[in-house]
Amino acid sequence: MARHTVCRLKDLPVGKIVPANAGRARIVLSRTETGEVKAFAGRCPHQGAHLEFGCISDLTQAERPNEVSVDKSCSVLRCPWHGFEFSLATGQAVVADDRGHFLKLRRYNVEIDGDDVVVVT
Amino acid sequence: MPIIDTDVHESFSSLQDLVPYLPDPYKGWIAQGAWRGIPQPFCYTSPGNGNRADVVTEDGAPVASDYDLMRRQVLDEYDLTYAVLTGYFYPTMLKLQYGLGTALAAAYNDYCAEHWLAKDERFIGSIQIFARDPQAAAREIDRMSDHPQMRQVMLPVVDDIAYGDPAYRPIFEAADRNEIMISFHHTTHAQGPYGMGLHYMERRALLPISLMPQVISLIVNGVFDNFPNLRFMVLEGGFSWLPHVMWRLDRDYRMGRVEVPWIKKLPSTHCRERLKLSTQPTEDISAENWIKLIELMGTDEILVFSTDYPHFDFDSPNAAIPRGLPDDLREKIFWKNAAAFYDIDVPLAAASIAAE
Repeated sequence: MARHTVCRLKDLPVGKIVPANAGRARIVLSRTETGEVKAFAGRCPHQGAHLEFGCISDLTQAERPNEVSVDKSCSVLRCPWHGFEFSLATGQAVVADDRGHFLKLRRYNVEIDGDDVVVVT
Repeated sequence: MPIIDTDVHESFSSLQDLVPYLPDPYKGWIAQGAWRGIPQPFCYTSPGNGNRADVVTEDGAPVASDYDLMRRQVLDEYDLTYAVLTGYFYPTMLKLQYGLGTALAAAYNDYCAEHWLAKDERFIGSIQIFARDPQAAAREIDRMSDHPQMRQVMLPVVDDIAYGDPAYRPIFEAADRNEIMISFHHTTHAQGPYGMGLHYMERRALLPISLMPQVISLIVNGVFDNFPNLRFMVLEGGFSWLPHVMWRLDRDYRMGRVEVPWIKKLPSTHCRERLKLSTQPTEDISAENWIKLIELMGTDEILVFSTDYPHFDFDSPNAAIPRGLPDDLREKIFWKNAAAFYDIDVPLAAASIAAE
């Protein structure tokens, strides 16, 4: 297990994706509304897109057609290629495939040490 | 084995047959010949001009308007357990005069009930509607759903309607509250993506491409999710395309759920749970390819048998479904899947023969 100081906390604006290097691994970081910092492997498990070019969005929801709202308590990271949505909380895809399998982003533990963001790989 | 034929076309001998069932002023208009009926924008090229050439009566009456002939040629000939009457007169093809369209649909339903459904308890009826006025269509569904043989609403596929559009929601609400199902059938106005093509062969080959979009429209616009008790049947539109549509919609949903979050299940799951496709016109594929296609669909409970009597591309119950298919699969195609769709009992005698 290795600990990597990848950036400063002030470099992580809420709702943005920030790329970093954790040793030889390219990762993406994002800071949530509650201040928690999430770290995931930098490639999409679907077809390998670089997630640093993706975006963070609130999860859309609707019970009736054309009445869409957003759930601000649930953010998703969207892949820059196909737009697949992954829960920022868990890294799990929002939609399963037709075999019931959910893609999942590889998640890393994050520690905050003063103003340093430390990723454990 | 029991057989439920999900697509049999009954007809009137002329528009004048509807006159007794029409209210004024439309009764007078039709009686005096003010409308020549829905035009057919092409020539058929088969020996029987669109119908089987052996569907003729001794007195020369137009085909498909004679119950006795239909009984001899299909109901008794193949010992059908049930035959679903799907009509051949779809007022929705009218693009104006909505009051007339609604009156014609109601008149046709009354004509069909008296001249067809009443003659044979093996008939299952389709409620015809004028879909361009969805509120009026809903009232017609409410009016006719009490008829014990009416088990579905017929939604005709024309050249300008995708039934997932919210404007048509009253039709599904009416079907839902009356606990009857939804079927789709093309009309002579159905088109492919570039029109009808330049030849009848081209037009016929394009028909599946007129029906696939209805499945896409219903799922993407939330009809499957909003009406979980409704089931949907696509008639005479082919079936080998379904794996592609399921895969395509699943991928599109994974990419684009953000726009349509009212969809709560993978589109392929919706299809497997509540969609039926009729087999006619079969495409002369081998038994091995039938099985491959069904495996790709992920369930053997989608396909339902149909003859399309009296049309020229009729599928014989004796020949269209390969005998090389497993017996339990043939049972599902010939009757079990349709019986589940219509929620009907198959007579004990027929079912017990099947079990032997």
